[in-house]
Amino acid sequence: MTVAAPAMTSRGPERSRRRIKIPNERLFYAVLGFVGLLVIWELASNFDLDPETPGTQGLVKRILMSAPTLIWNAGIEDFSSGVIWPHIAISLQEWFYGFIISCFLGITLGLSLGWFRRFRLATQPLVSALYSTPTIALFPLIVLIAGIGLESKVILVVLASIFAVIINTMVGVQSVSWKHLEIASSFGASQTQIVRSVVLPTTIPFILTGVRLAAGRSLVGVVVAEFQAANQGVGFYIALNGQTLNTARVFIGLLLLGGFGIFVGELVRLVENRFDAWRPSIHR
Amino acid sequence: MTAGTQMIAVTSNAERHRSRLPRWYRRREASILSFSGLAAFVIIWQVAAQIGQLDFTFFFASPTGIIEAASKEVQLPRFWDDVATSAWELLAGSGVALGLGVPIGLAIGWYRRVGFMFDPWLNFFNALPRIALLPLLVLWLGLGTEMKIAAVSLGAFFSIVVPTAQGVKTVDRNLLDVGRSMDASQGRIFTSIVLPATVPYIISGIRIAIGRGLIGVVVAEFYAQTKGIGVIIVKSQQALNSDRMLFGIILFTISGILLSYATSLLERRFQKWRPGQDMEE
Amino acid sequence: MTSAPATQDLALSARGVRMEYLDRGTRERFVAIDSLDLDIKQGEFVTIVGPSGCGKSTFVKLVNGLLSATEGEILVRSVAKGKSDAMVFQDSALFPWYKIIDNVSYGLVCAGVSKKQAHERAMPLIKLVGLGGFENKYPYQLSGGMQQRANLARALCVDPAILLMDEPFAALDAQTREVMQAELLRIWRGAEAEGGARKTVLFITHQIEEAVFLSDRVIVMSARPGRIMEDIRIDLPRPRDLHVKRTPEFQEYQEQIWQLIASQLKAAASQFGGSTE
Repeated sequence: MTVAAPAMTSRGPERSRRRIKIPNERLFYAVLGFVGLLVIWELASNFDLDPETPGTQGLVKRILMSAPTLIWNAGIEDFSSGVIWPHIAISLQEWFYGFIISCFLGITLGLSLGWFRRFRLATQPLVSALYSTPTIALFPLIVLIAGIGLESKVILVVLASIFAVIINTMVGVQSVSWKHLEIASSFGASQTQIVRSVVLPTTIPFILTGVRLAAGRSLVGVVVAEFQAANQGVGFYIALNGQTLNTARVFIGLLLLGGFGIFVGELVRLVENRFDAWRPSIHR
Repeated sequence: MTAGTQMIAVTSNAERHRSRLPRWYRRREASILSFSGLAAFVIIWQVAAQIGQLDFTFFFASPTGIIEAASKEVQLPRFWDDVATSAWELLAGSGVALGLGVPIGLAIGWYRRVGFMFDPWLNFFNALPRIALLPLLVLWLGLGTEMKIAAVSLGAFFSIVVPTAQGVKTVDRNLLDVGRSMDASQGRIFTSIVLPATVPYIISGIRIAIGRGLIGVVVAEFYAQTKGIGVIIVKSQQALNSDRMLFGIILFTISGILLSYATSLLERRFQKWRPGQDMEE
Repeated sequence: MTSAPATQDLALSARGVRMEYLDRGTRERFVAIDSLDLDIKQGEFVTIVGPSGCGKSTFVKLVNGLLSATEGEILVRSVAKGKSDAMVFQDSALFPWYKIIDNVSYGLVCAGVSKKQAHERAMPLIKLVGLGGFENKYPYQLSGGMQQRANLARALCVDPAILLMDEPFAALDAQTREVMQAELLRIWRGAEAEGGARKTVLFITHQIEEAVFLSDRVIVMSARPGRIMEDIRIDLPRPRDLHVKRTPEFQEYQEQIWQLIASQLKAAASQFGGSTE
């Protein structure tokens, strides 16, 4: 205990003063962080040490780092001339086929692996070996088997993403509570009713997590396949412009990929929220 | 009760599903099934390859072929050089990711506003396949080992930052109040409460980061073919040697399994309680 | 033991029931229930009490068909339509992803009733258990006591001949528990008023006071292996309210059952040389 406190210090007000709210503080700082970095980038790349050779002597070499304005201009150019659209279309196609196949195949396999114990045990060594392999490394093998067309890319996309779906779905089925199964059979629910009323509601959040992860990994598959063997696609566009020192266009490719990744991620999150109504909101 | 009802015997579902298998089998079922599943896969593959049913366009590997290729390969000094290169890339890259990721993650989690400022960039890079940054890394660092180390650390970095920040944010408020009520300094609160509570999150981040790092090694070596196991794979493909190629892939599988085993040891060492499931990305 | 009543007014009849388990850890078989005979008449409220591990929960699961007995036979009166029994489970037994109305009508939907009709038939029961207005809430939005009301309504909804209740109030705090005991008796009478015949209830608890307050008969079971030690008829007037707990008769019943169980606990303690836990 304190002996003869010299003066009473009040801590409450001080602490609450620290919490004074700028309206929508989160947004304020997010914008600050976002714009701030862009401005620093732009200024740094415009700060030429040697005016004789503009763009090569900057604090941040323009030819290697580009600059927000350069990226903007190049973007306007490529979108208005239309050269970028075929790349986007082909990448979207590869992504879409691969992602859809991953979801269907992955959910089916994950449900059966979770539900049938013996099937799970018999395939366990293979599944966990494949799960620990960077499946991207299989691409040269796929090319040997399926050539360098659309098929091999879709196969790579599937391989890159399917395990996220399989494993999450399987864990979902395994986390079905014994008690809920007991209740269902106590009320005489049939197998189908048990699956509909107990197994699926428990598993769907897990499946959706898997699907969300798979969406991102499919994009990795697309990029790697297009780096390796392609003459079209956003990955190819990035690689080509990297090799020709066209740095601004590399960033355009990156922006497209990142933007698309965010878009799909949010889309799946919307679906997740729709299925999450029965959870207390702190879990969201 | 209405007339006409009668007493019936209770029967249960369990009765109908009771196992009739012998006891010795039921006891070891897990290992028996796992082993025979794997054995069946290898045997079917070998037989199919031998009777020529696995002759795809340019693919004709078999288990024995892979073993043969492996035994030739391990006698070459070049092979061990490749393995050492890949291992160094992975280790150094993960080291950089850990060394940068943990402090940055701690800062983002501890200082709310720093977190807000980093949010848009973290979201963007999380959604972006980091592997797409390879052409930029080549521009900046060339085709050598430095570029590959950078690729690995980029792959692993965000998997460390995000869980670390998450860990700091979810530190039990009550514990913080305990610290404050004892008039502990901010620094002491941080080292005695926040850091220990965050370690399990960092480790579960490491688990994910290892997978990302491995992908980084593979893709970087595919992209700039100087040295490494990835180069073995690509070169074998160009020589249409699918046995040697699969040996290279299996090397990655083995490292993946070993590393995830090592992480579970770490987890067991540090983690008495597990953080939530949905931590990935 | 009760003298064998005529079979036509029996709701449940168990003969020579024995249940063995294989302990996964020690790989030894142990006997959870041994040579259990029990008859329950239609409309009776019977409670089984006993120390933990006496196999009382196992017994209701046997009656419900969730487990099957190693030996012996359990007969229940079958009803023309619907299920002949329904279970009120221990805490948090509602499906968290269903609204209250869907939880309550679950048994009917399982029996093939259309969702709309099932909802219509569930509503009066939701009101009966005092949850009117909460039918569109999710379980997490309800308190523990309210969740157990819904749990009860779900079991009543299939109009079972026997209502099985497996420690339904175990997780509630002491006050809520008292309220729920009184409520259960009210609902029991209410269901009688609506459905005509009085429901047979088989109730499991480890609380002596709860057993005496609720029941027509209290079955006291011994610990491992679970056997019936005593079958005590509770002659307290109905309808009962919480005041009955303060009457000397009530206390006497309580004392009698407590002595029986205490002897068990003492035996167990001396056997293992440990605490009574």
